[in-house]
Amino acid sequence: MLAGSLIVTPVIIVIVRSFTTARLGAAVGFSLDNYMRVLHDPKILPMLQNSIVYAGGSALFGTLVGAMLAWIVARTNTPGKTLVELMPLYPILMPPVMKNIAWVLLLSPKSGILNNMLQQAFGIDHPVFNAFSMPAMIWVFGLTCVTLGYLFLLPVFLSFDPSLEESAYIAGSRPMRTLLRITFPLAIPAFLSALVLNFLRGLRSFETPVLQGSPGGIDVFVSKVYDSMSIDYNPGLATAYSAVLIVLSVAALILYVRTTRFSERYATITGKGYRVKVVDIGWWKYAAFVAVFVYFLIGIAIPFVVLIITSLIPYYDYETFMKFPTNVDLASYHRVMHHPSFVSGLYNSLALSIVIAVVTVFAGIVMAFTIYRTKVYGSKVFEFIGTIPLAFPPLVLSLGLIIAVIDSPFYNTLWALGAGLFIAYFPYALRNASGAIVNIHRELDEAAWVHGARWRHVFFRVTLPLLKPSIAGALFYIFIEALRNIDVAVLLVAPGMEYGPVTLFEYFRVGQWAEAAAGGVIYLVILIVTVTIAKFVFNVKFSL
Amino acid sequence: MKIKVLSAAVVAAVVAWSGAVFAASAPNDPYPKAAAALYEKAKQEGAVIAYTVWDVEHIVAILDAFSKRYPGIKTSYWQGRNPEIVQRTVTEFQAGKESVDIILSDNAPPVIRAAGAIQPYETVQKDFLVLHDPTMPIVSLQIQALVYNTKKLKPGDLPKNWEDVANPKYKGNVALDDPMRAGPLSSQLAGLKELWKNDAKFAAYVKGLKALNVPVNKSTSAMFRLVVSGEYAICQPALLHDAMEERDEKHSPVEIVKTAPPVVFPRYGGIYAKAPHPNAAKLLAEWLITPEGQATLDKVGREASRKGFQSKTSIEHAYPKGTKPIPVNDKGFMEDPKKWLDTNVKPLWEG
Repeated sequence: MLAGSLIVTPVIIVIVRSFTTARLGAAVGFSLDNYMRVLHDPKILPMLQNSIVYAGGSALFGTLVGAMLAWIVARTNTPGKTLVELMPLYPILMPPVMKNIAWVLLLSPKSGILNNMLQQAFGIDHPVFNAFSMPAMIWVFGLTCVTLGYLFLLPVFLSFDPSLEESAYIAGSRPMRTLLRITFPLAIPAFLSALVLNFLRGLRSFETPVLQGSPGGIDVFVSKVYDSMSIDYNPGLATAYSAVLIVLSVAALILYVRTTRFSERYATITGKGYRVKVVDIGWWKYAAFVAVFVYFLIGIAIPFVVLIITSLIPYYDYETFMKFPTNVDLASYHRVMHHPSFVSGLYNSLALSIVIAVVTVFAGIVMAFTIYRTKVYGSKVFEFIGTIPLAFPPLVLSLGLIIAVIDSPFYNTLWALGAGLFIAYFPYALRNASGAIVNIHRELDEAAWVHGARWRHVFFRVTLPLLKPSIAGALFYIFIEALRNIDVAVLLVAPGMEYGPVTLFEYFRVGQWAEAAAGGVIYLVILIVTVTIAKFVFNVKFSL
Repeated sequence: MKIKVLSAAVVAAVVAWSGAVFAASAPNDPYPKAAAALYEKAKQEGAVIAYTVWDVEHIVAILDAFSKRYPGIKTSYWQGRNPEIVQRTVTEFQAGKESVDIILSDNAPPVIRAAGAIQPYETVQKDFLVLHDPTMPIVSLQIQALVYNTKKLKPGDLPKNWEDVANPKYKGNVALDDPMRAGPLSSQLAGLKELWKNDAKFAAYVKGLKALNVPVNKSTSAMFRLVVSGEYAICQPALLHDAMEERDEKHSPVEIVKTAPPVVFPRYGGIYAKAPHPNAAKLLAEWLITPEGQATLDKVGREASRKGFQSKTSIEHAYPKGTKPIPVNDKGFMEDPKKWLDTNVKPLWEG
């Protein structure tokens, strides 16, 4: 209820203001002007079409790859277990905008590394790749969608009752057929959770459309929302445009709820005792290793190398890039390391991100439990409320939060910033927990109820321990995302408060790509070292 | 010991005197008197809060230099993009918050002024400025230049001026900013329309750009990167300080077209209507216009707004002698760019 109120308050504020305010927040009484402008905008349909192709294509591609990786890591006898477990994690650490920059440098038609290499090696004089095309946009944003697919599906596969597959084998089903007919269908709730989230992320994502779409003449719907804020200075109009995203969000959620309405069908965690069975996939295990390794190369290694070189050369063009390492220049690193708030900002954001990850994930689990495991009247509406922040651009939503707290002592404090980050990441926590709870059979709860347990006993003693794998993934994901959040944080940071991402990632915003790459490399190295130490020294299991 | 103390005192006095001279070098400069009066009051206020679009590194260096010149005034800042600055400031103003003192930015202050959230303040140093606005001190300039990649275009093939970019021979080579967003190309159009006062010429220019049939960019900085990388040959337009930094410090293959006059857009120090420390804010705005303030801005790569100030990003340095900049002064454009573009550009661009 508390989480719902926190989310609903800024949402209601921005919706009410979309009917009552005009440019620069000027009060106009009740008016439908903002919505009439949206309805009469002739560009909406083609832009929406582009958005759906881009967001849908990326979400489908990324979630499928994530699901496949999760299955390989959790259920197969692929060699190099530790390496295979770690390789899908590292690409998560790379901020999406860094991926954009790296792939623009790789795939640009005239100046891109790959096209130039092909031209030099094979004399191909027309560009094979085009960074500024819809397939390239889907490719790059799809790669950022792999994360959610992987983290949402991994716990499902790790807690899979093998008797379901064994029945299929006994009935004569082959491994691949069993995989397609038994294993994957049972993962549908988690898959759809990740798919819906990735689709909504794609609908409102801005970096890929700006860096790759507009130079290719591909306009997406979300740019209308941003134009409303950046040229009209009209948050009410931005909210009116966001209404289209809300409709799409509701449609996606209805699809999800309808597909998973018989949730017990998808329960893979039951009251029966079992051990998760690793499937022997024969020689395919080597192909699986190669697949994970290729993803590691594409997901982080190649773009990371491109960024490292870019950060070490004075400027990027193909000729200068190929002269590396004879032209090493450390000026970008020097500048980043001497950034006035690099260290203090990073410390603040680290501390806040840890708190936000813990609080948000816990609140998401409580809400998912209320929706799927209690008979609280109207609890299904929380499914919608908990996801709605994804339909709003961060700037609009944080403005709503500012208006909500501006006369309170919370204004210009870390509390307001924390609340903003909570609202922004709650949908991920909720969808993650929903997908996981649906996979836990009700019989476990019912057994507890029969023995006189109260809801809190069921929640803390039964559900929560079974959700451990999902919790680990969600904590990891939200921590990483919150650590690099700019869009929500920027309005809520008080004067004099140093916050890491806002300062570190400003290089991306002002177009200093060499410095941005240097900052990104430092940031990535810190995270990679942290994850690796956590894995090998403290034996933290990110996957279970 | 005494000699050491004495010599230290002499050095301190010389430094203070030379600083004061540097801060206000012209004989009829009204700054020293105005600054002394403002500083007395500012010390009572004890602080100044700035909202700015400028890079954190820049604003920190600027506020540090100001604090050294005027001790006793605590400085703090918040940094965001123009839409964020506008939304935050206007929302705080509407809620009656005394939250900020000065807005240091380009596009945001006129829009905030239109919402009534700027208190008019005319700088005492107006006679020294390239551009002047009687309600907000213009502390720096945003200078647009026509920039090209020297590996992609030979000097003989260069466009001669802004209109020349619309020549069909440059099709496929021009990185074009979106003229329908609040970016540099739209402000350039506002400047050219006012300069030409010739609707037919203006229409031909906009239609010519449209006829290039190239996709438009929504990020000035990303567009400039694509020109540096060689993806495009011409950047329509780039910012002079970006081009100078790339050319002189990173030795990137970029150069400005010196025959295309620069377009200058003001960067303001607008005083917030409910500023809790208005005198400190005015003092900061005034100090930024002094030679010392301009030198501080120049050091971080921001263009000076003071006439005759010599620096690597000054028009006098980058362009041939006698080059006349094209100012962007259209109040209608500055306060409501969307309305101006819908009226003046949209029918030509989308028609």
